[in-house]
This record gives sequence, structure tokens and C-alpha cells, in this order.
Amino acid sequence: MAYFMPVFNFFHWSEKHGRTLNDTGALVSVEIGIPSALKQHLSEKGLPIPAAVSGFALVDTGASATAVDDSVFTSLGIPHFDEIATGTPHGQGNSKVYPANITFPGMNVTDMPMERVIGCQLRWKTHEDQEIIMLMGRDLLQYFLFVYNGPSSDVTLFY
Amino acid sequence: MKADLLNNHEGKFALIRGEEFVGAYDSAQNAYTEGVKRFGCESFLVKRISEQEEVYRNQALALGLLHARL
Repeated sequence: MAYFMPVFNFFHWSEKHGRTLNDTGALVSVEIGIPSALKQHLSEKGLPIPAAVSGFALVDTGASATAVDDSVFTSLGIPHFDEIATGTPHGQGNSKVYPANITFPGMNVTDMPMERVIGCQLRWKTHEDQEIIMLMGRDLLQYFLFVYNGPSSDVTLFY
Repeated sequence: MKADLLNNHEGKFALIRGEEFVGAYDSAQNAYTEGVKRFGCESFLVKRISEQEEVYRNQALALGLLHARL
């Protein structure tokens, strides 16, 4: 019996996008926006709704949960609603937990609600000036099919 | 408060404001939506009710290996 996974959208990343996969990791364009409940609240109060923050997500199959740079939440004005214990090089620490809506423009995935996103210090730029603002963990990857082709240095992400 | 919550609402998400327990919800999203309805942009807590605290594990981030040059 054959099983087929319905595939509606996919994102293909290859060497022509820049450095080799080994150097940069698997990157996907992402936009982080405020959660729908907060958007509705701001709208009802007649307050401005902050525009989503754009950047790149690094696919991280080693991470149990998705993490986003703290500064993104600060610029969006999203208050944290919980804290979680985290491991750091200096021992146990704490990270804030936020809600967010995630959009993947390259895959037509819009405003995917994320109940709990970890805030941490991770923002950096690749050699091609691509700014990494998110680590895409297994809580998000569970909805995707992810193909990492090392020898041909390309990645395909299906939703 | 934790013992009471564990007895009555284990596995759900608690919405807490200051010292006040507002309610228990099936998902963090439902608890958050109720929190925003009641408190707007002011701070409140949404916490999973469980015996053990969650721990976020990301060894590459913890060890600074995400963009290390070897």
C-alpha cells in the first residue's frame, strides 16, 4: 500500500541563493507578527497594529521548541506571559515565553498561530547579510516535510 | 495555589493575574485570548499546570554553536 502526503506549498533553497548549505544552514524567509487576540484588541481600541518583523529562520531539528530573538517581541510590543527554564553555557537560566503569529511568505503560510515561542538572544547576520531572527524548532517542523540534501547543497520544505 | 491547581486542573493552562487565579483553559491560546480580553496589553501569566516545570533544551544555542567558525 502506498501512502501519499498532500503537499500544497513548498520552498526550495539551493546553492544559487548564496553560500553552501553547510556554511549557512537551512534558511527560510519568515515574518513574525502579533497574535490574533492582541491584533483584535488593538483594533477595537483604535490603536495602531505593528507591522510584522521580517527576517530568516534557521531550521533547527535539535530544538524542541521554536525560539525568536527577544528584540522582535520588544519592537512588536508583545508582552511575555510566562517564563521557562533554559540551559545556558553558564548554567540554568530563564527565558521569556511569548505568543506570535508566524508567516512564511515563500510557502504562502500566513499567520500560523504559535501558542508558545521562546524569547532569546540569537539574532545574527550571515555573510550574505541575511538576518536570522528565528530558530524553527520541532514544534513547528511537525507540520512540515523537510528534505536536507547535503551532497547537492539544497533544502526543500513542504507544507 | 499549585497543589490546588494540580488537583483540579492538571494538564490545562492557568490564567493568573497577580495573585489571582482567573481560570483554567484547554490551550495556551484560549487562556491568552481570555487574558487579552480581560487585561488588554497589561501583564498576566499563562502557565501549564503540571507537576514538573518545562525546560527548553537547545544545545547548539546554549553552546554558541549556531554560527561557530571552526
